[in-house]
Order: sequence, then C-alpha cells, then structure tokens
Amino acid sequence: MGAVVAMAGLGVGAWYDAHAHLRAGAEQSSLKAAQHHLGVLRHRVTVTNYANTVTTNRRNDLEASIGTALAQLAGVDTSLSSANAGASLEGVSINTLDTCLGGVQTALNEVSANNNGAAANAISAVSGPCAQLDGGANAGLVYPFDFPDPDVILVGRTYYAYATNSVAGNIQIISSTDLTHWAAIGNALPSLPSWAKPDNTWAPSVTRVNGSFLMYYAAEVTASDTQCISVATASQPTGPFVDASSAPLECQQALGGSIDPSTFTDSNGLSYLLWKSGGPGSSKLWAEQLNGAGTGFAPNTTPAQLLVPDQPWEGGTVEAPDLVIANGHYFLFFSGNNWNSANYAVGVARCAGPLGPCADATPTPILSSGNGIAGPGGASVFPDTTGAPWIAFHAWVPGAVGFPNSRDLYVRRLDISGAAPSVAAPGT
Amino acid sequence: MLVACCALVGAGLGYLLFDAIQSNHQYDRARHTLGITRATTSVVSRDLAKARIDLKLVTEQVGNDSTALAQDTSQLEGAKSALSAAQAHVLEQTSLINSLHACLGGVEQALNALAVGSQTMAANALHSVSASCSAAVNASG
Repeated sequence: MGAVVAMAGLGVGAWYDAHAHLRAGAEQSSLKAAQHHLGVLRHRVTVTNYANTVTTNRRNDLEASIGTALAQLAGVDTSLSSANAGASLEGVSINTLDTCLGGVQTALNEVSANNNGAAANAISAVSGPCAQLDGGANAGLVYPFDFPDPDVILVGRTYYAYATNSVAGNIQIISSTDLTHWAAIGNALPSLPSWAKPDNTWAPSVTRVNGSFLMYYAAEVTASDTQCISVATASQPTGPFVDASSAPLECQQALGGSIDPSTFTDSNGLSYLLWKSGGPGSSKLWAEQLNGAGTGFAPNTTPAQLLVPDQPWEGGTVEAPDLVIANGHYFLFFSGNNWNSANYAVGVARCAGPLGPCADATPTPILSSGNGIAGPGGASVFPDTTGAPWIAFHAWVPGAVGFPNSRDLYVRRLDISGAAPSVAAPGT
Repeated sequence: MLVACCALVGAGLGYLLFDAIQSNHQYDRARHTLGITRATTSVVSRDLAKARIDLKLVTEQVGNDSTALAQDTSQLEGAKSALSAAQAHVLEQTSLINSLHACLGGVEQALNALAVGSQTMAANALHSVSASCSAAVNASG
C-alpha cells in the first residue's frame, strides 16, 4: 500500500514538474519571438529615422536652393526691370535720335557745301531729339546747342531768347511757349553797321520801348579792334533788327572797351543801360540812364560804376550784369571768373538803386558748376506768363568745357522774394 | 529496505519539487520579461509609426520642393536669358548713343568754330569725330 502511494506521489510530482517545464519553455519561446519582433521593429525605426534624417536634409537643401533661386530670381528680375527701363528709355531715345542723326548729317552736308547758316538751321531744328544726348534735361537744359549770353523776353504768351553770334547769324533768336521746347527762328540781326567787324557780335539784350523793340549788343569796331555797344531796332521781337548807326553807343576805349549790355526799367518808368568795361583784372560794371527813345543816354548823365571784382570766386572778373527789382530790392545778377572755364559762375549783388552803389549779396555764387552743368553764366532774369521769376543762363556740358564746345541754354525758376535770390533746384 | 525505499521516494519527490519550483521561477521571469518586451514593442511600434508618418511628410515636402525648385530654376533661366538679351540691347544702344553724342559734339564744335571764322579749327573738329559719325550712321541702319 505504501509503495502504491509512493509511486502515485512520484507520478504526480513528475507530471507537475513536466508541466512546469512545458509552461516555462512556452513562455521562453514567446519571449524569444517577442524580442526578435522588437529587434526587427527597432531596426526599422533606426532605418526609418535614418531615412527621415536623409530626407529632411534633402528637404532643407532643396528649400535652401529654392531660397537661393528665388533670391537670384528677384535679383535678376530687378536687373531685368532696370535693363528694360534702360532699354525703354534708350528706345525712346533711339526713335528720336534717328531724327537727331538726320539733322547732324544734314548739317555735315551743309558745312561741306559751305552753307553754314543752313547747317546751323539743320542742327537747331533737331534740338529736341538731340537734347536727350546731353542728358541735361534734369539740370534745366532746354536748348542743347551753343547759345551763349542769353537774354529772354516775354511778348504776349511767347518767350523769345537771343544769344551771341553763331554760324546761323550775328544774333541768334529762338522762341518757345512753354520754356521747355524751343524752336530756332534764325538771325535777329541780318546786317551789321559799317563800323562793326563780322563774327564778333555778342551778348544781346532786347527791350520794348514805345511799341518798338530795341536790341543792345556788343560788337567790335573794325578800325580799332575795340569792343563797343550798339543798339538796333525792330518792329517785332523776331526782327529783323536794324542798326543804322555810324558809331557805337558806348565804347570806354580807355577802360578796355564795353560789352555785355542789358537794360533795366525802374518802377518809375526810367530805363537804364548796364554793361561791363575792361578785361580780366580790370573789369567793372556800369549803369547809365537811357533817353526816352532808348537809342541814347539821357542828357547830362554819365556812367555810374556799380561793381568791381572783390570776391575770391570772381577771379578778377565781373561781367554780364542784369538788374531786377523785387519787393523794393535791387538785385544785380552778374557773372564772375573766366568765361572759358568751369570756374565761371553767377553771383548777386544788392544795389541801393539802378545807379548803385552795389555790394555782393552773398560771398559765394548762387549758381556754379555741379549737378549736370559747368561754368554757368550770362544770366538773364525774366518773368513767366504768371509773373513768376525765372533765370536763363548758358553753361558747358560737364566734360566738354571750353571753346569750341557749346554753351547750351538752361532755364530754371528763381526765388527773389528774400534778402538774397536763390536758383531753384533743377526740375522744380 | 523500507527505509531505503522511503528515502528514495522522498529524494525523488524532493528533486521533482525543486525542479518544478525552478521551472516556475523561470516561467515567472520569462513572463515578466515578455511583459516588458511587449510594452517596449508597443512603444517602438508607435515610434516607428510616427517615424513613418514623418518620413512620408518629409518625402512629400521633398517632392513639392523639387517641383518648386524646378519651376524656379526654369524661371531663373528664363529671366537670365531675358536679362542677357536686354543688356545686350542696352549695350548696343548705348554704343550708338555714345557715337552719336561724339559726332554731334564734333559738329557743334565745327559750327562754333565757323561762327568766329576759324575754318581750320572747324575742319579739325569734324575730322576728329568722323569715325564716331560713321559708326552712328552704320549702327542706326
């Protein structure tokens, strides 16, 4: 009996032990499978993360490339816009420059045929298109050809500008209705008096007296080579002006001659002639009352000295006077320094009256080289159709200073409302 | 004899019991480890799923960026080409303008010299710009 119980106990123990082994073995198998799965998953995570990193780097590279491409595109677009704007501007120029070129070719042909007047007319006729070449419109350039010592008057609603001689004639005359576009009219003074030397007529000044137009101008006396002032008359501003004089109006031979005439009419109706005597180092500005007809000086008058060079910028020369009155102030505009250089400039003096005395309003010029012009001078102050003051002057194109280069015509607004006049910035 | 048999049975039972206890301990350890492994597997599975989603997203972005870059590059090439053409045009016109400017300057100088009766200076002025005038005429067609 005991043996049976013992065997049974051993059997049960053996079964229990075997069952425990089986259960532990199965769990171990499950664990191995789970660990293998985990290993696979971890490998996949590693691979996926690596792929993620690589792809992210590629994305970042691409985005950087896109950024670079867009920046380049923006830069190229800007350059393209500039180039297209330039091309457009140039295109406009090209269309009109063909006209300019045509005028130049005609002028060349006329020069070859010794038709100098026709050459001048041909080139003046294309002033608008050719003005683009000088690129000076922003500086106030309105006539891109030689037009020295300009004088501008307003008759009705038309502006007339007169200037020193050219191949077009003794005194150039051009006209405009807007101060921007000017057309050549021709030669305002077809004939010179017998005493005057050809090719030496300068600095005209035109004024209206009793319905007639008087032109004062400088000419050289053939017999003495002295520069003098004479006067011509015309019934209309376009001329022809006629000078029937047998002798000049003013010479001051002892002072080296007289040039650069200009007229001034005071608020009381009396008119005066202003001019310059002498050369470099001895120049002076003068004024004397004119007679009622304007063809001579008033009886019992003598020239009054207005100004001598006394400022460093003037370089020993003052010339080209032009007197205006504003708010009771007499402003004497004048040019100083060497006309044939970029040092030439425009200054202003204040005067007690038309016969002086005058003193510099500012120690420096109000208009000098810079901002697209060189050596401005020969100023002429005139009102526009509204009465607002403007200043016309000649100037060299920077880089082309000195004869035989041209002194082109410029006009700008002028402020003479204060104690010292100021020339408005170009384009204002 | 009986005592020996009893001892033998007891030893057998003791061994079986000890072995069963060892197996149970092994089972418990395996089960515990399996639990941890399954929990870890769950976490790793989530990580993998997230990584795959991220990868898909980034891959899509790469695709989009590649397309955008291709477009931008194409635009850039087009703009560069247009810029080159415009610059060449401007250069050509600038050359013409420079020639015409020089020609005009010479003609003006000649006329200004003639105005004061200087034929020699006028001839020199024209001679000095003859090449520019020819270039301007040729360039303008």
